[in-house]
Amino acid sequence: MKITFAQGVAMALSEALASDPNVLMIGSGFMGLSPSARDLLNPVLRDYPERIFVTPISELGLAGAAIGAAACGQRPVVDLGTGSFILEAFAQVANEAANIHYMTGGQTSVPATFYSLAGIRGAGAAQHSGRMQAMLGQVPGLQVLAPGAADDAYGLLKWALLESQNPSVFLSHSLLFDETSEIVAGAAMLPVGKARIRREGTDLSIIASSIMVARALAAADTLEREHGVSAEVVDLRTIVPLDRETIVKSVAKTGRVVIADECPLSFGVAAEVAATLAERALSHLKAPVLRLAVPDVPIPYSPPLEAELIVTAEKIAAGALRVLGR
Amino acid sequence: MPQELSLEELCRLYEQMCLIRLFEGQVQRLASTGEVPGFPHLSTGQEAVAVGVCANLSDDDMIFSSHRAHGHVIAKGSDPYAVLAEILGRQDGLCQGRGGSMHLVDAAKGVLGATGVVAGNVSLAAGAAWAAQLRGEGRIAAVFSGDGATGAGVFHETLNLASLWRLPLLLVCENNGYAEFTSREEHSNVAKVSTFAAPYAIPSRTVDGNDLLVVHEAAREAIGRVRNQEGPWLLECMTFRMAGHYVGDAQRYRSKEEMEAMKEKDPIVRLGRHLAGRGVPAQKLDGLMAGAKGRMEAIAERARKAARPDPATVLDYVYSAKLAAEEN
Amino acid sequence: MQRQDPAERVAAMLRIRRFEEQCIRLANEKRFPGHFHVYIGQEATAVTACEQLRAEDFIFSTWRNHGHLLARGAAPDRMMAEILGKSGGYARGKSGTLHIAVKGLGVPATSALVGGALPLATGAGLACKRRGAGISVVFFGDAALEEGAFYEAMILAQVWQVPTLFICENNSIPPEQRKRGQFTSSTLPAARLMDVPQSLQVKAEAVDGGDLEALSECFARLVAEVRGGGGPRFVEVRCTRWTGSFPLWPELPSGDWQLDWAFGGKPERADLATWIEQSDPLALYLKKIAAAKSLERSKVTAIDQRVKAEIAQAVRFALESPYPAAREAYENVWAGAKQ
Repeated sequence: MKITFAQGVAMALSEALASDPNVLMIGSGFMGLSPSARDLLNPVLRDYPERIFVTPISELGLAGAAIGAAACGQRPVVDLGTGSFILEAFAQVANEAANIHYMTGGQTSVPATFYSLAGIRGAGAAQHSGRMQAMLGQVPGLQVLAPGAADDAYGLLKWALLESQNPSVFLSHSLLFDETSEIVAGAAMLPVGKARIRREGTDLSIIASSIMVARALAAADTLEREHGVSAEVVDLRTIVPLDRETIVKSVAKTGRVVIADECPLSFGVAAEVAATLAERALSHLKAPVLRLAVPDVPIPYSPPLEAELIVTAEKIAAGALRVLGR
Repeated sequence: MPQELSLEELCRLYEQMCLIRLFEGQVQRLASTGEVPGFPHLSTGQEAVAVGVCANLSDDDMIFSSHRAHGHVIAKGSDPYAVLAEILGRQDGLCQGRGGSMHLVDAAKGVLGATGVVAGNVSLAAGAAWAAQLRGEGRIAAVFSGDGATGAGVFHETLNLASLWRLPLLLVCENNGYAEFTSREEHSNVAKVSTFAAPYAIPSRTVDGNDLLVVHEAAREAIGRVRNQEGPWLLECMTFRMAGHYVGDAQRYRSKEEMEAMKEKDPIVRLGRHLAGRGVPAQKLDGLMAGAKGRMEAIAERARKAARPDPATVLDYVYSAKLAAEEN
Repeated sequence: MQRQDPAERVAAMLRIRRFEEQCIRLANEKRFPGHFHVYIGQEATAVTACEQLRAEDFIFSTWRNHGHLLARGAAPDRMMAEILGKSGGYARGKSGTLHIAVKGLGVPATSALVGGALPLATGAGLACKRRGAGISVVFFGDAALEEGAFYEAMILAQVWQVPTLFICENNSIPPEQRKRGQFTSSTLPAARLMDVPQSLQVKAEAVDGGDLEALSECFARLVAEVRGGGGPRFVEVRCTRWTGSFPLWPELPSGDWQLDWAFGGKPERADLATWIEQSDPLALYLKKIAAAKSLERSKVTAIDQRVKAEIAQAVRFALESPYPAAREAYENVWAGAKQ
């Protein structure tokens, strides 16, 4: 059946609440400002009121409460709001949740999920356009889930809520809410830590995650239609764990790569992918890697300014042509 | 109606306080010979709080502590050898050497952890209390923090949440008058931490934290009410730390008069006086102290010789279970 | 900026209200993207607070900042251009509505995070103290008391005894409780909101946000105390939310506010009519000065025409202002760098 990304999130929450009494929802603003998406949560709000907690705006305190509850056997998901807000809770997410299992020599695990509506949504200015995945990826012990399509929105969130033994940040992108995928009810999800080849190709690899997946696929269509270029699109699905094997395998096959990421360029996810290729695939590369990421600039409000900074499908296609020497 | 503690029970608590005092003495000694990695924080002088509160908790209850946790952990029932081994970073330590002094955890005894972050555990304790509430098994969570933690926003956020959700949470604030090297008067206009609990209608008491009997009784009442689902409680124990903020702190910010006055209020001395007044012979008290001393010396010797963790295992425990990708 | 004259006060409040109405209209016409927030229904607070401020004082606001900035003296045309993301805006389009700042008017930065500006305001108060001149004022909503940042900012302000006035605009109050009453909230268990700052040893009081004269007296007194070195103060301004603010995006039920509604007329929408009668600070003030005969109705009408013309010019300016060049996206990341 076909579902949207937003439906996938709502279904994952609903099914998780139904199947495990330890699952708790802290906050209910998972769908941001989209009225239609917000409506999707009404059944959940109606059916499980005792496990859904209305909250004051206390990201720090609530993240900590989620961590403490998780350390004692609950499986909470806490809505930390728009992307940058996770920084309000960063002290708990990074300094507590991620360290506990290691510091205790293996005694305590923290299966808490931090839900973040991250990414550049348009006209959000500097504090409502947060892309935290690289920063979060720098925290040992923290999983960073970044679904790029509805099937993984559903599968990864459900996995985090029901199966994961470790703390996760689930990065939901509001611009993906209407993207659709086919899912087969009851089918097993691709394992966490495996990237997915969304489109097979031979001329170059486009490595993408989150919102970049849809744009990479659009770029690949353009490249084929207008330039006869066959691009392979690799959907990372998770930033941590990062599937380095699939990345290397794809580039070993194609010899050229464009890495598309929404984080700021420096010290970003793309940098990590590029470093991996430099270390493990140098002999396969026919051209230097190309990173397409957002410049190191606080996100400005005015549309033409913001548009200048965003990594679009057009930029990805243009980058691909550059890497192909055209 | 306060229950009288039996003399036997009181002697046990006296002995436990002695053990903690001597434990900290050993840590200080080992630190001075360079055998303790990092900078441990000693709770010398604050034994009555740890012992008086933990005597009212079971293994099923959970405690969280701060960076000054040694006394709490031992009072809750952890094996002092495993605690000291952890402080020395040895494989036999509570956390196999991974955590050290500021990350002591003994899950089997409900010690869910020390933390190196001021106020870092306050909201975690609220979460544990919340889990206990949801499970409905009558367990409670207690968190020890210092007066310095009240400057952290999360302390107040937690008071708000604990009150809103009526959590079975006991907050024990050891007000020793110092946040690191800054006296309370310098960093706060609020002398008593219990003031912060008032707007949230969280009941609180401020007691003399150096009187074991007072602490024990106050904790008994508070814990009883918390366990009875009456919502959170804040117990403020006025005390002092006899050692510095950390081992190596010369305490130049405290006057000689202040240090002398402390000796008069030593909680072990005070309890000893009380016991003597009730007919316990000096010989017995001395024997308890000497026994604790001998025990600690043996523990220290054993811990110093304990094996260090194998560097090849440094990646163990980062994650709870093998990740799917690793298995493929 | 002394504006105790009724005509000036009416003009200042109307300027905010008419400006906000145009924002809503422009948003409906899709002239600018993104979410925005209007100050309709709270104008008396910004106007009377800013009457007490001097050039050397600082203001901090939130995402709901238009009223505060206009009351402080910001130019409507530059503000509107900013809201539309145009180069004529105060930040040449970089901030949009959420972060409008005007350094020259003592508004150095505007945070869009709940409680975000509170610590900034404490820091500004500290700077004023060290300079020996000026005070800082921060406007925020009741939800900020749920944020740890509030506590941290207030505790520091009190310990450092900085000249900072914390103005909490609590717009969740039913009309009959504005002058006195509890604060029933599902997210803050304090019986009275003021109990919280008082427990932090900061002197606190409450005032009716619908009563301009009560606000004026309150701010005059508190600003004098703060300016006189008395340390920080907290005031809860108790307001009843404007009905157009309840939907996710602001709406103008019954269209633009009509002057007539303060002089006996009623809008079609019953909830709006009730709000105007019981809670609209502008209408309540107009009724008061009409009864006291301090300002003739014809003068009020003339003021409104003038303000409407001013705002219309501001809208024209904003619409005609060009968008900034794309390369400007890279500018102003660093202070002092070559552009």
